[in-house]
Amino acid sequence: MSASQFEGVLSLLIRQRGVLGCLVVGEADGIVVDSNVQVGVQSNVVAALAAALYRKARLCSAAAGLSTVGFLQLEAERGYICAIGRDGLVLVTLAEPRAHIGRIRGAMLESLGALA
Amino acid sequence: MRTHVAEPWVEAPLQKFVDDANALFALLLHPSGQVMGQFGFTRAVDVMAACALAAAIHASAGELGRELEGKPFRELYHAGRDRQIFIGDVRTTQHRFVFLTVFDAESSLGLVRIYFAELCAELQHAQPPLLDRVPISGATLEQDLNRNLAALFSRAPRGGDGGESSISLA
Repeated sequence: MSASQFEGVLSLLIRQRGVLGCLVVGEADGIVVDSNVQVGVQSNVVAALAAALYRKARLCSAAAGLSTVGFLQLEAERGYICAIGRDGLVLVTLAEPRAHIGRIRGAMLESLGALA
Repeated sequence: MRTHVAEPWVEAPLQKFVDDANALFALLLHPSGQVMGQFGFTRAVDVMAACALAAAIHASAGELGRELEGKPFRELYHAGRDRQIFIGDVRTTQHRFVFLTVFDAESSLGLVRIYFAELCAELQHAQPPLLDRVPISGATLEQDLNRNLAALFSRAPRGGDGGESSISLA
């Protein structure tokens, strides 16, 4: 079985400390294209909701005249959801509170080119 | 806008699906085409047509799936230019339904599939005990179809004795 074109990106992200999972999701349909998640993460549910969230944020940003969304970070009681998108795909990362969010952000921004 | 149902126990799950998934239309029906609940339709004739088509598509897809994979296809999806349609098979321990929903870019296939799974689970919990079933004949099927349509659109069905119906299926 051949590796997907996103395997390198996902492997890079999942190795970061505190990362629970990372997914490449279609922005319009919320369907998982590729993922690397820990056991227990409901990847389909997270993918659909995170893609919808990112899409709304993108539309909100555009409506407010703020142009494109650079990096979306949701801080919850038990961790983070980060999303970044390009060309109809969204890269989503789930992380624990102990995760170094700056490194995750850097890795996601570096990976943006792979989404094209 | 609220859902309209023929049986009260399907109302809460159906309304929750519509609210959560941001659907434009939703239709819950028996595989025979008898409507159980709907959202978004304003005319009985549209519900009747949608039920007949959904039941036919579901039956055809089921047979196609059996031919190809030995088991029926349980979900069907079609993306139009502006709107998308999803048809799914709802199985509870006591009932079997077909669910049809139409949505646009405000929702997504991923969201619809999540909330469809929740709808199935909630219908499973909400279902009443199964009563003794009367064998379905042509006459009782038409009466049931018309009774549910009349309930959805707040009309008293005529022809309860098998005579002229408020909506003729002939």
